[in-house]
Amino acid sequence: MRVVIAEDQFLLREGMASLLKEHGFDVAEAVGDGPSLLRALTSQRPDVAIVDVRLPPAYTDEGLRAALEARRQVPGLPVLILSTHVERLYARELLADQAGGVGYLLKDRVFTDEQFTDALRTVARGGTVMDPEVVAKLLARRSGQPPVARLTDRERQVLELMAEGRSNSAIGQRLVITGKAVSKHCTSIFAKLDLPPSDDDNRRVLAVLTYLDS
Amino acid sequence: MVAIMRPGHHGSMESVLNVRPRQFGALGWAALFLAVMCLCFVCWGARPWTWIAVSAAAAVTLLTPAVAADLLAVALLGFASYAFALIGRNETLLRRIERDLHDGAQARLIALGISLRATEGLIRTNPDAAVALVAESRENSARALTELRALVRGIHPPVLAERGLGDAIRALALDCPVPATAEVDLPGRLPAPVEAAAYFAVAEALANAAKHAEARSVHIRATHAAGALRIEVSDDGAGGADPSRGTGLRGVERRLGTFDGVLAVSSPPGGPTIVVIEVPCGS
Repeated sequence: MRVVIAEDQFLLREGMASLLKEHGFDVAEAVGDGPSLLRALTSQRPDVAIVDVRLPPAYTDEGLRAALEARRQVPGLPVLILSTHVERLYARELLADQAGGVGYLLKDRVFTDEQFTDALRTVARGGTVMDPEVVAKLLARRSGQPPVARLTDRERQVLELMAEGRSNSAIGQRLVITGKAVSKHCTSIFAKLDLPPSDDDNRRVLAVLTYLDS
Repeated sequence: MVAIMRPGHHGSMESVLNVRPRQFGALGWAALFLAVMCLCFVCWGARPWTWIAVSAAAAVTLLTPAVAADLLAVALLGFASYAFALIGRNETLLRRIERDLHDGAQARLIALGISLRATEGLIRTNPDAAVALVAESRENSARALTELRALVRGIHPPVLAERGLGDAIRALALDCPVPATAEVDLPGRLPAPVEAAAYFAVAEALANAAKHAEARSVHIRATHAAGALRIEVSDDGAGGADPSRGTGLRGVERRLGTFDGVLAVSSPPGGPTIVVIEVPCGS
């Protein structure tokens, strides 16, 4: 799997590159600023890109803007955005095209390499991955309102993990329940939230995130 | 200082000393006025032009016109440079702290996480204890990052640095526990200190609406017209807010005062509460 990394901090860029190589990824190019990123994304057409929001030259949101621009030029180009802080505003912009192949995680998640490489593979497959902190922000306002308030504690946990973009088997592993039990909870959640049921993992994540963000 | 250094035609020590008392008087008055103005600036928030006007009036009544003109020039220059240096220094400092934390402590913590992960595979003696220890360090570094994030947000919110006031207000609206809508019409980036002061003003108004007013919805409207930034935060809560009692809005008012900005609150019992801030600034 070919990966492009955009990160201006040398230590982190090299650390991520060696971690990915260890897990069998092929690092096609590692860049350190916004303009090189846009060039690398459109010329390399990687299977997935890892992009830091804030990059030189101006240290604002060059990384995010370059990633969004690359996705306009190459629709559905998979990008995993990393940042030291998460904003619902950025999550909304990333999800706006509803095309999938998008991830948004705190840089801290790189520590847990399974979580990180799983997320990377999900995004590369066209899936959607959202940081637990964004999901928590989305749920914070909703939790007191009727449809979400009607969910059982277990259903709420499943909903959270589902919004993070985890598969049924990953949710089952995390909550130590069977895959069948997870599907049952999902059906019940979708019924309570009045969402059309879907077997497609990515459509399911997008539906839940759109619902929580509305 | 310039006058003291000018030795006169004789260039002797005596003439320098002769000149000193009169000149020292003018500079003394200048220093006194500057001190009073600085005190006003620090204690009640700066309205630089008000205090310059007061000092000018006082100077004209107390001194001969020639000295008064000198004094006025010194006061104007001194105070204006003091005020702008103070504002500029504060904001540069804040920006530097934000960058230092972003590139320093946070980067080191991330590197630590990665090296710990590598260590896990290397340790052979007492692997169980080593792994447990490594996992603990990892948790600690993650916790430190969470704290740093909160700190950075309080000093200079990253979204403000990355996107400017308009999007930072939209982000505040999204994070507000009360459903909030934002209507933003701003021309590009405003001066950084004004953006920061306005951001914290909106954050305070939203926090009040959520905490005290039991509002069901909040609306934020930010515009820039006739050389002034105007932001209105209105909620449909219980009203009855007294801006003179809470320390939050007082702090906001002081910070806005630094830029000749004003804060007005209308909050009759039963609501609605409308908080308006206005700051004169170019775009």
